[in-house]
Amino acid sequence: MKKVEYLIGNKHFKFISSPIYNSLVCDFICDLSKVLLQHANYKKYPDIITLAFWCRKQNIDIMKRNFSANELRVGLGLVFHITPSNVPTNFAYSLLFGLLTGNSNIIKVPSKKFEQINIICDCIKKILKKKKYIQIKNKITIVRYNNFDEFTDKISSICDARLIWGGNKSIKEIRKFTLNPRSRDIAFSDRFSLCAINAQSILELDQSGLNRVVEKFYNDTYLVDQNACSSPHLIVWLGNKGSKAKNIFWQKLYKYTLKKYTLPKIASIDKYTKLCEDLINLPNIKSHKNYTNLLHVVTLKNLDFNINKLRGKWGYFYEYNSKNLDYIAKFIDQSCQTLTYIGISKDILKKFVVKNNLKGIDRIVPTGQGLSMSLNWDGYNINQALSRIIDLK
Amino acid sequence: MNLYSVKKDKIIKVLNSSGTSGNNTSKIYLDKINALNQVKVLQKIMNRMLGKERLPMLIIDRNIKNINRTNFNARVAAINGFSIFGRNHTFLLDENNNINYDELNKFLSRYGNSKFFIFGFTSFIFENLIEKLKMNKIKLDFKNAILLHGGGWKKLENKKISNKTFKKEISKKLNLKNVFNYYGLVEQTGSIFVECKCGYFIASNFSDVLIRDSNFNLLKNNQKGFLQLFSLLPTSYPGHNILTEDIGEIIQNAKCSCSMQGKRFLVHGRIEKAEIRGCSDAE
Repeated sequence: MKKVEYLIGNKHFKFISSPIYNSLVCDFICDLSKVLLQHANYKKYPDIITLAFWCRKQNIDIMKRNFSANELRVGLGLVFHITPSNVPTNFAYSLLFGLLTGNSNIIKVPSKKFEQINIICDCIKKILKKKKYIQIKNKITIVRYNNFDEFTDKISSICDARLIWGGNKSIKEIRKFTLNPRSRDIAFSDRFSLCAINAQSILELDQSGLNRVVEKFYNDTYLVDQNACSSPHLIVWLGNKGSKAKNIFWQKLYKYTLKKYTLPKIASIDKYTKLCEDLINLPNIKSHKNYTNLLHVVTLKNLDFNINKLRGKWGYFYEYNSKNLDYIAKFIDQSCQTLTYIGISKDILKKFVVKNNLKGIDRIVPTGQGLSMSLNWDGYNINQALSRIIDLK
Repeated sequence: MNLYSVKKDKIIKVLNSSGTSGNNTSKIYLDKINALNQVKVLQKIMNRMLGKERLPMLIIDRNIKNINRTNFNARVAAINGFSIFGRNHTFLLDENNNINYDELNKFLSRYGNSKFFIFGFTSFIFENLIEKLKMNKIKLDFKNAILLHGGGWKKLENKKISNKTFKKEISKKLNLKNVFNYYGLVEQTGSIFVECKCGYFIASNFSDVLIRDSNFNLLKNNQKGFLQLFSLLPTSYPGHNILTEDIGEIIQNAKCSCSMQGKRFLVHGRIEKAEIRGCSDAE
């Protein structure tokens, strides 16, 4: 039977829009941070710890400060969030984005019953019991359902904004359900990401510095099997010291994965299959090197307009040596999301963006912050996307 | 990707494989010599089990008569391939996969008292023969039969049916003791691995197996890892050396009461699909 399970709230949704970053919401999120860290099982889940860290007062204060308070902004009303099926904590960030921007929210969580979802919902429910938060209670509805288009259709038709967390295919499916003319549709489509490394900077690092860089790179990639839209697939080595730096970097990464990474059996076969396919399909492969099956590196002899389609998985990288960053600019297309970097100054990166009329790249962050959730995401300023401005003169 | 090693106009037959990774089917291109060698080698392997004479054959499947002969799937290819070891072929199932008792009775009254050959896919035999006989509380006497079965165990694994349980049920319901499981890839049709009486697959003179760990290093005997299969037969397509997604184990010093020669191994099923981490799909 088609059914909607209400994890929090019920079918009586409210359309409340309140000012952006109102203090009650900020208090609520800070409380969530504390309650998450008091939960009996939180330690088992690094993603819960990351979420609690994101919710802490300091971080919320920073976001509030960064948001220009000169504008009078209020939430849109009711936001419908359709979250990814395979990231257990993503729905929580989506909810917090909706709350911070002053909206009521209906969140569809993955149909797969992740324990993290229970923990987060338990904590939210616990906080919502406080009288103080009665208004917030009216703004949170968390639902779980599967193959129930009628529900998606209904909520789409009444919501003021819809947030779809990706997969081009899913976006197309969900877009069949039309919104009100005034409503906003925000979709995070499939993206490609890359990493630029100043080769010289690797050579200048001492052992502990190198360890830190490798760990950060690992966190951007292996931690999510390179499946996150912001995990890099292509590594661009800058400067003429490429070959030496590459060796040091990949060796170190390999040693780190030996300690840290559990390679699923299927990944060995998948990576090998990928390599065979690449050898057949890519005309621009110069060489290939593997460090057991944990790390595969395919070296390209030149770049072409297909680089945005390159996808590695489970530790499978493409690399290219370039004299400078500007050379890669013309190959960047709209699907390119995040450029992570090592050893490059912000100044140079800024010039790179300004000078080259880039078609893509929405985020440029240091390696290690590839997966950090922020209200600037995928080229959207979520603060603005989920709120409206009231022009007061 | 079309992989063939001969001129395209020499191809006389194309087999479809379900493909292990992804849902893409791969095509296996056969020229005349390759197709002929498949038959010859299959014959040699089957003779060990069936003897040289063609036997009356009962096929636990639907009739495959009306199927395009140049382009078919693994199941049809197998039925076709094994059919040459039988005569008076009788298909046991009707279009709805129900047992055609008329045909069965006719077959048994004619051939039931001497040696005959049964072939079918493992899950088909279980679902359409054993389970249906169970439901109808029927017992049959197949004591003179030799059963050869193969194909995926996935369906049966879901029902928690092991090779041992399968054999036990066959023996209980059909009074049938000569049961041989076979293992093979449509990519290496012909050089199949047939179980010995003691339940181990055996490599023939035309095939070999190796076991590799997840870094593709060779493993020792009695260690579990990826099965790599070799066949001498493929000449019109590159299928002589295939790394599979199946987990196997070479058995050394098998306590085998049979005298068959050859490397013995077990297959422990397909490796599991991994959980997908990372953001990729909203439902």
